[in-house]
Amino acid sequence: MLHVKFPVISHTQALENKIDLFHDKMIEAAAVFHRSVRVFLEAGVGLEYKKINRKIKSIEHDADTLRRDIENDLYSQNLLPNLQADILQLIEGLDKINNQIDDVIYKFYIERPEIPAKFHRKLIELCDCSADCAENLAIASRAFFKDLSKVRDYSLKVYIAEQESDQIYNDLKKSIFNSDMELANKLQLDLLVTEAADIADIAEDCADELLIFTLKRDI
Amino acid sequence: MLSFLLFLSSGLFLGWSLGANDGSNVFGTAVGTKMLKFRTAALIASLFVIIGAVSGGSGGAATLNALGSVNAQAGAFMVCLAAALSIYWMTKSRISVSTSQAIVGAIVGWNIYSGKPTDAELFSKIVGTWVLCPVLAGVLAMILYRLTRFVILRCKVSLLRQDFYTRVGLVLAGAFGAYALGANNIANVMGVFVASNPLQSLSFPGGGELSSEQVLFLFGGIAIAVGIATYSRRIMQTVGQNICLMSPLAAWVVVVAQALVLFLFASDSLHRFLENNGLPAIPPVPVSSSQAVIGAVIGVGLLKGGHGINWGLIGRIFIGWVATPIIAAAFCFVALFFLENVFNLQVYY
Repeated sequence: MLHVKFPVISHTQALENKIDLFHDKMIEAAAVFHRSVRVFLEAGVGLEYKKINRKIKSIEHDADTLRRDIENDLYSQNLLPNLQADILQLIEGLDKINNQIDDVIYKFYIERPEIPAKFHRKLIELCDCSADCAENLAIASRAFFKDLSKVRDYSLKVYIAEQESDQIYNDLKKSIFNSDMELANKLQLDLLVTEAADIADIAEDCADELLIFTLKRDI
Repeated sequence: MLSFLLFLSSGLFLGWSLGANDGSNVFGTAVGTKMLKFRTAALIASLFVIIGAVSGGSGGAATLNALGSVNAQAGAFMVCLAAALSIYWMTKSRISVSTSQAIVGAIVGWNIYSGKPTDAELFSKIVGTWVLCPVLAGVLAMILYRLTRFVILRCKVSLLRQDFYTRVGLVLAGAFGAYALGANNIANVMGVFVASNPLQSLSFPGGGELSSEQVLFLFGGIAIAVGIATYSRRIMQTVGQNICLMSPLAAWVVVVAQALVLFLFASDSLHRFLENNGLPAIPPVPVSSSQAVIGAVIGVGLLKGGHGINWGLIGRIFIGWVATPIIAAAFCFVALFFLENVFNLQVYY
């Protein structure tokens, strides 16, 4: 008759671990992305880049499994009923960034674009900014679950990195179309650069949402 | 005895309606925010409301009896019925209504009809508690809210742990709230029957004993519990969203503040302690749990900047303070006249 659906503390701990692991995966993905562009520009699609591609696929797969588990646990155990929708949106947003990183790494792997040396520095800077955005967003999101006071600090870092990436992206785009490359190459490179910059844009959108969720989380 | 039970029916009806309405004040926010299931909430509330009524209900009943000792069963029947019907009518008119205010109004109506004097000092004291109750609940909620927020930010409690502790807190606060509701509000339901109570005391084989007054309160407590179990579900699911949106932790703050206020106004021993130490004593008076909740929610709402507070609802409380006792008194006066002259029943001695 008495139907108490109380979350047992062990369930809570298990879910906390999954959320932690999910954020770890995202930070790992950002680190892999950070390295990938350097490896590609230095050695092309060699053995090391193949390893990186496999690594990001495995990270993305693990993150997907964790995301499903987290969502399932939240609903099946009716945890955080007033924040379920927000957390779902947040986790989905973070997962989009993982997918985008995976996409960009995979596109470099498949398309093997020719990138003139004069664009290397800017491209590395752009990818670093995007990776920074992803990493700081993961830290901000972790703080949302553990230490609310830090969410704002790391969200701000996301915004700063995103602004920087916008600037670099615009410069790079201009340089690409002002260069004497074939139009097809220009378009191909532009598309790849846009996708790399999109990582920062998605992170910025997630940070916006996260700040609103933080306000709602406050008692 | 049979006639007494028949007369008691209006009190039981009042108890049922009190349970249906006020049970939601105790667990409404927890159920409304989906932190607790209705069945769990109803079971805990029903159990503790009975315990509160039986063990702590005498203070408020004594105050109501001092205001007007309704000494005939038919008179007590009509006082309760007048209060219940006033509540029904005012609820339909969407005016915030309190059982405490209705019963006090009906008792004054009986006093006027029977020609007995109403203790003006006591009456003004009771009216004072109606204003004090939501204000005190608001202040307590503000203090509790600040304290809880400080602890959570300071201790960096993780979101999921916070959720776990909140659920445990809501169950404990709800049980305390139900106890306080039973102790404070049983006087509304059964208080007027105390003077004409023919029930015997009840001895248990284990050695425990319930006085005749406690047996009466047990009946009333069961009526409130039935009201909670059968009719409070819908109100529970909507309460908490009515005045302003609340998080589960704010809901906890509201329930604790409300329970503390009801407990303060029910506790005989606290009253004596304050009096003996020369402090301003809080009289044991039945107060409105709905208005305590509204006071607490407004307290939390004000701390959050006062946005989203439904001020219209607060206006309806003010109307209720004035209108409820007047309507109940007038209704009781007219109904007593009919009961005495049409049905030839003795409504006072």
